[in-house]
Amino acid sequence: MASLIEQQLRERAQALLDEGSVELFLGYRQGSRSLRVAPFAARSSSETERLVWNAACVPNLAGTLHKYAGQRIGVALKMCDAHSVIQLLRFNQIRRDELYVIGVVCHGMADAERIAATDADTITLWDPATERPTLGPDQLLDKCVSCTQPVPDLYDELLGRVATAPPETKNERLADIQMLEAMDAPTRRAFWQEQLSKCTLCYACQAACPLCFCKQCALSLERSDPRRQTRDMGAIFTYHVMRAYHLTERCTGCNECERVCPEDIPLSLITQKLEQDREQR
Amino acid sequence: MSERFEPHILGLLCSWCAYSGADTAGVSRAQYPANIRIVRVMCSGRIDPLFVARAFEHGADGVLVAGCHPGDCHYISGNNFAQERFASFARLLDFFGIDQRRFRLDWVSGAEGARFATIVSEMTEELRALGPLNIKVTS
Repeated sequence: MASLIEQQLRERAQALLDEGSVELFLGYRQGSRSLRVAPFAARSSSETERLVWNAACVPNLAGTLHKYAGQRIGVALKMCDAHSVIQLLRFNQIRRDELYVIGVVCHGMADAERIAATDADTITLWDPATERPTLGPDQLLDKCVSCTQPVPDLYDELLGRVATAPPETKNERLADIQMLEAMDAPTRRAFWQEQLSKCTLCYACQAACPLCFCKQCALSLERSDPRRQTRDMGAIFTYHVMRAYHLTERCTGCNECERVCPEDIPLSLITQKLEQDREQR
Repeated sequence: MSERFEPHILGLLCSWCAYSGADTAGVSRAQYPANIRIVRVMCSGRIDPLFVARAFEHGADGVLVAGCHPGDCHYISGNNFAQERFASFARLLDFFGIDQRRFRLDWVSGAEGARFATIVSEMTEELRALGPLNIKVTS
């Protein structure tokens, strides 16, 4: 049975498609496994039946928008996605008049890797009375635990309710950054050497990033050159430090990079650092 | 006799001031260490932080970026861009554990040959004390 938000979302998507104000509606469909969803663009009112909204709707839809450039898009956004969309608008990557945003109040999303073991599904993880996921802090994504902003900053209409103001929690990542910064340079270097030595340069972090929008990446120019296809620490270091540099003014901290990293490198430390530097200036 | 560590320094010098400054240093026979390898660029504002990252990747122990004094840029504001890029990139390098002394931005005018020699000597001494960077070595 669909939750109320899900029903409302489908109805609104259907209405928008039927009245022709959007050509497609971008949301999520059920993925191939439980607790996994995939971005999905509904193009007709019958396809809206496949849209879902549950505690597993984590992927950032902002990264998918460029595929539909030039079309009128309806999209369901949570707070994190809306922040990325705002940045994309700021860098003239998408047009506001081509976008119809249904904001969805978000009380945190599930970290599928932490609850997969308990064999739960998305329906039992959703409380229909309060329209929010029934998740403890240990089952939420790290970024959701310390999040205090359930309502997106950008929407044309809003679904969902803000039940109670989220409690103030300490951001543990910030403590990690302070700890890193308190180290001297060689110790910090050793820390990153250890973490980055796991990197296989699969570029998943880049592919998942909604704000890596250059058509031709300055760092990929050499990937087509067999003489430059080294996979040593030097290449890894260059890749990560340059990725961070290119994101300094863009990153919104959606932490998609860390979520998709197959080697679990703590990339959110880097994005948090960028955010912190921005605030200090 | 133990062999002394000789750091490799990459110098990215702007064509109009710092490179002329290095030239002046040569013409006036100022002594400075031979550890620096110089690449002439048209303006310090042309330097992409990627150049710096690549330099470290390919074995440089330190990178010196030098351009015209603020207000003296041949292209009016190139060195201001360089300074902003330097500031944010240096912070990142520091966060990744590269000592801040390994990446230096300085201003050298065409007449300041002696100043260029001093900067290179200072930097070489600092890097000698810091030791090799060894970015490719996995712990």
